[in-house]
Amino acid sequence: MIDIIINEWTKFLRNSVFVYLNVFFIFSLIFVVYLGILQNNSQETNRKIVEDEVREQWDNLEPMNPHSAAHYGSYAFKPMNLLNGLDGGVNDITGNVIKLEGHVQNEILFSEASQSLSISKFGKLKSSILLQIIIPLIIIFLGYSSIINDKKTGVLKLLVVEGLMLRKIIFGKSLSIWLYGLLLLFLTIIIQIFSTSSFESLNRLILIIISYSLYYYILAGLAVYFSSIFKNNTTSLSIVMCLWIVWTIFIPKLWGNTVEKVYPLPSRQVFKDNMKEERSKGIDGHNPYDKRRDILKEKFLNQYNVDSLSQLPINFDGIVMQADEEYGNQIWDKYFGKNYHILEKQKKLFQISGIVNPFSSLQSLSMGFAGTDMMHHLDFLKSAEDYRRYFIKELNDQHAYGGSKTGDWKWTVDSLYFRSVKKYDYKSAKIFDKINYYSLDIICLLLWFVAVNSLIFFINRKKNIL
Amino acid sequence: MLSEFDHFKRSPFKIFSLLLYTMAIIYGCQNGYTLYKKHNLEISNIKTKISDSQSKMMKTFDDIESGSIEKPRRDPTTPYWAVRNTSTYSFKYPSKLMVFSIGQAEQYGYYKYITNWSTVFDEDLAHEIANPERLAIGTIDFNFIFLYLTPILLIILLFNIGGLEKDLKFENLILLNNISKNWWIFSRFSFYYVLNSILIICCLLFYVFRLEFDEANFNYFLNLFFIICIYLLCWFAIFYTINIFGNGSLDQSIKMVSIWLIFCIVIPGSIHQASSIKYPTNYMLDYLNVSREKSNEIFSLSSDSLNKKLMNSYKFLKSSTHAKDSIVSKSIINRSVSAIINDLNKNVNYQIESKNEKKNKFINSFNIFNPVTFCQNKINKIAETDYYSYKKYRFQIQSKIDDQINMILLDTWNKIKINKIKYLQYIDELK
Repeated sequence: MIDIIINEWTKFLRNSVFVYLNVFFIFSLIFVVYLGILQNNSQETNRKIVEDEVREQWDNLEPMNPHSAAHYGSYAFKPMNLLNGLDGGVNDITGNVIKLEGHVQNEILFSEASQSLSISKFGKLKSSILLQIIIPLIIIFLGYSSIINDKKTGVLKLLVVEGLMLRKIIFGKSLSIWLYGLLLLFLTIIIQIFSTSSFESLNRLILIIISYSLYYYILAGLAVYFSSIFKNNTTSLSIVMCLWIVWTIFIPKLWGNTVEKVYPLPSRQVFKDNMKEERSKGIDGHNPYDKRRDILKEKFLNQYNVDSLSQLPINFDGIVMQADEEYGNQIWDKYFGKNYHILEKQKKLFQISGIVNPFSSLQSLSMGFAGTDMMHHLDFLKSAEDYRRYFIKELNDQHAYGGSKTGDWKWTVDSLYFRSVKKYDYKSAKIFDKINYYSLDIICLLLWFVAVNSLIFFINRKKNIL
Repeated sequence: MLSEFDHFKRSPFKIFSLLLYTMAIIYGCQNGYTLYKKHNLEISNIKTKISDSQSKMMKTFDDIESGSIEKPRRDPTTPYWAVRNTSTYSFKYPSKLMVFSIGQAEQYGYYKYITNWSTVFDEDLAHEIANPERLAIGTIDFNFIFLYLTPILLIILLFNIGGLEKDLKFENLILLNNISKNWWIFSRFSFYYVLNSILIICCLLFYVFRLEFDEANFNYFLNLFFIICIYLLCWFAIFYTINIFGNGSLDQSIKMVSIWLIFCIVIPGSIHQASSIKYPTNYMLDYLNVSREKSNEIFSLSSDSLNKKLMNSYKFLKSSTHAKDSIVSKSIINRSVSAIINDLNKNVNYQIESKNEKKNKFINSFNIFNPVTFCQNKINKIAETDYYSYKKYRFQIQSKIDDQINMILLDTWNKIKINKIKYLQYIDELK
């Protein structure tokens, strides 16, 4: 086997055009990885500047009523995930900023895609494009004719006569091409390692290496297998190319659309109307004539054993605001929970396409392990909402128990208090906490790995040598 | 050309590819058609809701006038609340040509509820609730199929023209018959050019008739067809050159695939990346500052200062009833503050649009090397699904916000009481 691999590599290296093209490609790869890191860092620097400025405004707020401060609000800026430079995933099309304020849960806004004309349908030229589209094509070009040429020159017959098994030759050639893909993959990852130092990133990079390695092996194995069963290069290349087009371009888009039709999401209008209607059944913090407010008032008057709000040692307005908030949170949990559930079902159904398309599994794993897929995006949104709840509760509690009396809207807190409110600090989820979401993708890739090996193992020796 | 038809008939692989391509075009157009219908349906549902809400409001006016109810907390007889209760929306009606290009339509909202506090970057203008991974992978629409997959179909149809003869080493035999090689390949290519063009136009015409295009839309459709012909011609010219100088089918196919990769993936991807580095995602800090910091500063100003500010910005207020009063009414000023915030927002919008314009100019400066993206945006423009169509929509929204503010200012400062007739007048003006 090692002899076959060495022999194949000697053949590759003897071809001067191949060597020159590779040198060029490797330099391009290094440059693209570097640009990815540069873009990520520049975006992250920008985000930090904006985040710091917004926090500084909060820290230096003029004395203000806590409820006014809840309306003043805060912002959560989506950080560039750990390996965004490697695979941007959904980051270009999702928004980047959420306003966190009282009474409402806002949506994430200002996506990069909405800020300019449309450019590339395949995304930015990042490492992921090279790893998912270009390197597989090189693997195909290296593999489609590898056995056919040996058949034509009679070398294959000679090798078999010498006692080598056909399957061993196919495995050997597949491995030699796979090693070439692996070399380029390692090169990309090594450069990426220089820009990431955390243990978490290393874990993710190892998982990325495993996923791509499996995919490259599947492609290399199939290309060489087709080369062994077809009699001419044109047919072999056409079939592998067709497979590549269907896998890379057709199925992901086609299945993506289908998935949304199978599990449809509500339109924003319907979604908002339903939430608004349900919310109207709760307490309206700003409506003094609200009946539910009266019930809460009675409860607190009884609790403190007083006759009127003015006798309460606390500020009832803050209590009402928090009750309003908590009711709103329940509604949010119910409706956004439903949407999250639909999105999860869509994700699962999409992952099932990995059975016929290993590229879908690879794409999903690449985004997931880079921390830039939908699951990580939802994790960010959830964390922003959790912070909003902490933030508003903190302000409402201050309003209620900070020392003011009911109706005293002129009562203020100063910047010392505002500074004591914790800053929003999002840490991307750990990959091993999320790995369950990717089990289907991993299983599909492994199934393909086994299937390709089985194809090669059970190849009809006589039929394909002659 | 006719002999090429015989070749084509005998190639099941080519026929299969062409069929698959045709199905993809129809699927792409159908996706556009579905989205077009969905947008129209959603708009129509919202219009029903608006109509219901306005009817309820008119009943409230009747009840107030007849004395059967007390004025609500948010009194609709004041211009402020009357305008707020007009249920004003701004819609971006989909063009019928959206069927051919979904473009950036899924990245923006197409309906917006408008109040005097609205801005063109509000959260209800974000795109519809959708699976972000699906959006990132993209949708199959005609634009995508045509621009990215047509070259692949052409590779399948053309890679062995002239190449097969070289592979089988009887090219010279053909050339012995006094046939010019260039002309021979050209006529074989012409067959596929005509075939492809006819196929595309037939698929598109089906949707033109289905949607009953009017004259204006049909003219746009002709523009689209012109782009299609030119784009096809460019790819045929590239592949023709490759086949003329090619050394066999494999050599030709590898070169063709490489060219496709360069034009459809590498160049657009590089420009996309370069534009992101040069113009990173805008976090809209200026806008955030207006909606928070600067608004807060305005709210903390005294009524006198706000009164002066308003009269300086809106000259017509100087002749209003309130302007002649010796005491500044706090409630009138409070109901007018949104006008000052709106002015701040408009300045910021201008800056944001200018920044985006710089990025677009940067992208467009590569058009000569990046014909695929160029054509993509041209088709999006025809289908009114490009960035500029949505920019125009933002202007339309801003204009409605301005209208509402002007109404509130004018009638609040002139202390006009709103009745049903005046309310209907508001609705009519804000349509």
